[in-house]
Amino acid sequence: MQGVPRHLPDGDAPLTGKQPVWDLPVRLVHWTLAGLIAFSWWSVHNHHTDWHIWSGVAVLTLLIFRLLWGFFGSSTARWSGFIRGPGAVANYLRGGWYGVGHSPLAALSVIAMFLAVAVQVGLGLIAEDEDGIYTGPLAGLVRIETSDKARDFHELWFNVILGLIVLHVAAIIFYRLRGKRLTSRMITGKGDLDARAAPMRLGKWWVAVICLAIALGISRWVVAGAPPFGP
Amino acid sequence: MRVSVLAAAAVVSVVGAGVAYAALPKDKALAIMHSRHEGMEKIGDTNKLLRRELTSSAPFAPAVKSGAATIFDLSKRASGWFPAGTGPEMGNTGAKPEIWQNQKDFQVKLRNFQAAAAAFNATAAAGDLNAAKARYSDLNGTCKACHDTYRMEMHH
Repeated sequence: MQGVPRHLPDGDAPLTGKQPVWDLPVRLVHWTLAGLIAFSWWSVHNHHTDWHIWSGVAVLTLLIFRLLWGFFGSSTARWSGFIRGPGAVANYLRGGWYGVGHSPLAALSVIAMFLAVAVQVGLGLIAEDEDGIYTGPLAGLVRIETSDKARDFHELWFNVILGLIVLHVAAIIFYRLRGKRLTSRMITGKGDLDARAAPMRLGKWWVAVICLAIALGISRWVVAGAPPFGP
Repeated sequence: MRVSVLAAAAVVSVVGAGVAYAALPKDKALAIMHSRHEGMEKIGDTNKLLRRELTSSAPFAPAVKSGAATIFDLSKRASGWFPAGTGPEMGNTGAKPEIWQNQKDFQVKLRNFQAAAAAFNATAAAGDLNAAKARYSDLNGTCKACHDTYRMEMHH
């Protein structure tokens, strides 16, 4: 990239005015997930373990939907569109990346968050409370000792998610101080783009509906206790 | 004669209870808290086994029967698990101080639990698994009703 002037990862590139960055499904998943994580934390600390379990099932639905939308959705939602190797991350840090959507560095954060929440949901599904009053929908598939361990790890693993949330918010503040408003992009779906970036290709609404139907179907199956509806 | 003996016994037991209430020695209080903890833990472990049996496609009736009997037996002992002076001020416990502030409500909830444990045990002993499932669900409701208000996390 000799000859291209080095510039900061964003902010000082030529701008094109407000362009689409995030489609509606991506934004809805993002804010619903944020709300459900807060609700899950609140409900389990306020004697609403039943609500906590349903909140976890809703998170499961979101994760399945987002996973599918990452294959069949808009260009900025696609895993293949933003997951890059270490070379691309280094290039981004040197200011050589311009594009729309997650940067190669942000992609690592997305994957970490997605996997961390998936692990948390998985642990919750097979966990049971100390008194045996509440059980995750799949607890019957594992031994009692496994369910009890899953509960302990579920409690500990929340700290990993909390750490990622802190990192996420810190990164947003860091970019904000450098003039890049990421939060308003995630609300309106639009932002200033580098003129050299290829525009976002919008996914089809009916594909989103199919992805959601599949996500709801799988969640319903899990709620029933899985295999042929029960252990 | 017989009446007066009974009356005397009643007076003695009331006075005895009063004395125990006034000054439960520390070692005795801690012993009660220990057996309460062990008993509650046993109820919880049995509950986990029962849930797995009753939600499986083919519940093992003898396991349900013995689990129900265990909880029924422990539920009767629970009457002696909460004397005044066995709260968090005495030692590490999952019992909230509200138990002794709302004694009337607590005792109602305790009796509900004992009645539900007895009803569940009756259906399990008779081998009626469908009825046992319904009574088990009632029993869980009584655990939850009490724990929501009177149980806190215990830090070992």
